[in-house]
Amino acid sequence: MAIEYRKGKSFLHNLDARTKLMIFVGGTVIAMIIIDPIMMGILFLALYFLGRDAIDNQVLNNNLKVLVMIFLTFSLFQVLWFTPKNSYFLFYLIPWKNWVPVTVQGLIRGVAVFFRFFSVVLAVHLMLYTTPPVELALTITERDKKRTILSTIAVILVLGGIFFVAALPMVTDNAVFLGIQQSGLQFAALAVLCILFAWIVLKVLGRGLPAEMGVALMLGFATVGIMAKQTEQITNAQKARGYDVQPKNIFARVKVLTALLIPIFLATMQRSQDISIAILSRGFDYNISERTYRREFTFHRQDYLVLGILLFVIVGGLILERVGFNTPTESFILSRLP
Amino acid sequence: MEYDIKFDQVSFRYTDSDTPALKDINLEIKTGEIVLITGPAGSGKTTLCSCINGLIPHYHEGDLEGKVTIGEYDTKNVRVGGLASIVGMVFQDPESQLVTNSVADEVAFGPENFGIPREKINKRVRKALKATRMTGYEDREPHTLSGGEQQSCVIAATYSMHPEIYVLDEPLANLDPQGRAKVLELVTDIASEFGKTMIIVEHALEEILPYVQRVIIMDKGTIVRDGSVESILENGDIKQVFKRPDITRLAQSIDLAGFPLKPEHLISAMQEKYQLRGVAQTMDHARGNGKGDPVIVMDNVSHRYEAGVNALHEVSLSIHQGEFIALLGRNGSGKTTLVSHIIGLLKPTQGKVTVVGQNTMDTPTHILARHVGFCFQNPNHQIVSFTVKDEMEFGLKAHGIDESEYPDRIQRALEIVNMEEYADAEVFDLGKGQKQRIALASVLTLEPEMLVIDEPTTGQDPEMTFEIFEIINKLNQKGTTVLLITHKVDYAAMYAKRAILLNHGHIKFDGNIDDLLMDEALMQANSLELPDITRLAKQLGDYGVPANTVHYEDMENYLKQMVEVNRGN
Repeated sequence: MAIEYRKGKSFLHNLDARTKLMIFVGGTVIAMIIIDPIMMGILFLALYFLGRDAIDNQVLNNNLKVLVMIFLTFSLFQVLWFTPKNSYFLFYLIPWKNWVPVTVQGLIRGVAVFFRFFSVVLAVHLMLYTTPPVELALTITERDKKRTILSTIAVILVLGGIFFVAALPMVTDNAVFLGIQQSGLQFAALAVLCILFAWIVLKVLGRGLPAEMGVALMLGFATVGIMAKQTEQITNAQKARGYDVQPKNIFARVKVLTALLIPIFLATMQRSQDISIAILSRGFDYNISERTYRREFTFHRQDYLVLGILLFVIVGGLILERVGFNTPTESFILSRLP
Repeated sequence: MEYDIKFDQVSFRYTDSDTPALKDINLEIKTGEIVLITGPAGSGKTTLCSCINGLIPHYHEGDLEGKVTIGEYDTKNVRVGGLASIVGMVFQDPESQLVTNSVADEVAFGPENFGIPREKINKRVRKALKATRMTGYEDREPHTLSGGEQQSCVIAATYSMHPEIYVLDEPLANLDPQGRAKVLELVTDIASEFGKTMIIVEHALEEILPYVQRVIIMDKGTIVRDGSVESILENGDIKQVFKRPDITRLAQSIDLAGFPLKPEHLISAMQEKYQLRGVAQTMDHARGNGKGDPVIVMDNVSHRYEAGVNALHEVSLSIHQGEFIALLGRNGSGKTTLVSHIIGLLKPTQGKVTVVGQNTMDTPTHILARHVGFCFQNPNHQIVSFTVKDEMEFGLKAHGIDESEYPDRIQRALEIVNMEEYADAEVFDLGKGQKQRIALASVLTLEPEMLVIDEPTTGQDPEMTFEIFEIINKLNQKGTTVLLITHKVDYAAMYAKRAILLNHGHIKFDGNIDDLLMDEALMQANSLELPDITRLAKQLGDYGVPANTVHYEDMENYLKQMVEVNRGN
């Protein structure tokens, strides 16, 4: 089933498009930081219940079901190949040859990886199901150049904070950092560097895509539905001419595809020409750099709440990793084993 | 500010063409004029419009000579986007101009391009939607709207740009009669209320002449006549280029002065000039009235789309061998859904469809296609080859016809559609009318017993429309069963004996088309417009004019009979 926007009034639907984009980005970052299966399971469940609230359960489950086998395969690879030194050995998968050892650590990692993939994919699904494509396109398009100083400082501080926590190991190993030996100065230098880096990232990424690309993306999204309809009409036209569009023979299928491709290709060419004429006639090249947008993006309380939780989990994950408490499940299980 | 349009010795030839599309055009259109441009397909009307909004020379490549100015601006020196703030353009096919995901985004697209602040954009969107009676449609996806709604959406999108000049290139072509009236009223309201210049390219003279002040007739890239409505009508028809509305021609045929456009005006003029007498002799026409066995039977058929829309409700009908049936109804009434069941493209969610005894539920479309030829509205969706010959062979190959039969079958099919000299032509060099005929010919190569044709005359000029109906009629007379979807009630009444009228998936009428014409309330409720000739006939019923008259020649004969004695005096 196609993953496309579905109208609704759920918590996710009411979030700003940028927040949903951040859920995806943040979810991916969290999935990279956290390797504990229970923590990843909680993240997955949180996303799943948000999804259940937003879209038809059957649609959501059907899409996820398709992925179960793929992600189980990935997990199996983790189970089989993740065998760190001093790991707790359970058994050999091929016992008569003593090949492919299975360890507790491998099993735990396998479960974590399963949830990790699912969480990232689910975050993408939720974003696509609950956000109009045009808003997604505009989210990453350069729109409003005016950003208040306060909001700029806030974003830089948050980003800088994340970088700082992530880079902490560089200054806590009692080594010389940038020629500085004194630990207080090391922290200060790292903080300055992180803020500088955050400022550069904001400058580079904060601008977004040029308006031309943003509008092109928006038009592309809008065209998908029309092209799908057109493709269906073309297929029907060929069927109605007596053409068997689903022959059993594989070679015949390739031939059918060729016959369908010509009109579909021509229809696509025609559509792109129509769009060019339509947008030019409606002033697309009037002064693209000064283009404005009807849609307004504003953060509300729930957006700040979600972003706050994301930030908390990311920073928390980094700190836990730093203090060596990033695999509590594994530690707990191992402590219970003989 | 005044934005007069001036063409000074303008000629234009498209890069890939040998013949010029425009030749030595000299034209001036003053601010606030409402102008109709008409002429046969390929006469240069769209090219002329493209010169006004700058698509020529900035988008369409070719050689432009002479000068086109809009107010003080030479179109050669201003970008299309710049001109778009002055010239708003609406094209024939509304769907091709809809580029965004919602009606509100569509209407906002132009103002956004002009860099207008958000608050003002929203104000313009609201105003444009109100003016085009589209308020409440803001979040609808444009490609899910009906043809009339889509055209209103495109007009709203143009209106929100606040242009000084509106150029509308066949804005009525894809609409049902109700949609046409709505759009026409809308654009002329805008022009007269705000004093905007309005240039409308159209073939539908009867509908549009009452609204315009000036008419320009084009043929082969030149302006062959330009003047007020009266002066244009006074100078008569131009063979294969311009045919005055039937009512005007009828008035002339009985020596009436003036140029009536409506039946009631004609009757008043007749009563004023003549002592009218009754009609002594009436005419009759044989029309496709098959009496053979049932070939298509729909038994209690309903269809529900996956999206949950019920498109057909308990439809029962049977079509007999040799019948010519017109399938009528407004846009979105379920006509295409119904015919899609006949070829098995859609399966009934309830009930049963049998075609020559085969249940469509168990018979694949490619098998049903051996009996039923299906012509789609857009020939481009059907055509798969680059040359006419290959296109004609496509169906024959698909059906496994013996190769030795190809030449004869192709020749016969091309002869029927009068395209035999195009056998070696490239398909995509042909005009829309020619492509439509090739698409029909490629179906005819299979010599189907039944033909289902979906709106074959959309966007065709009157000559081509007449030609296509004549071809279909010829096939019916040879025994082919015809089921034709059309909005052209006048042509349907001329050729078909039976009409089926659909409304929201329900059959509202199934019977003799003459009876349908007599039921004015039913016609109106289904946005079907009575042909002018029939409206006139109904009003002349007291004089013995048969109320089901649809042929121009018949009506001319009756009117002559009514005034004969007077003229003899």
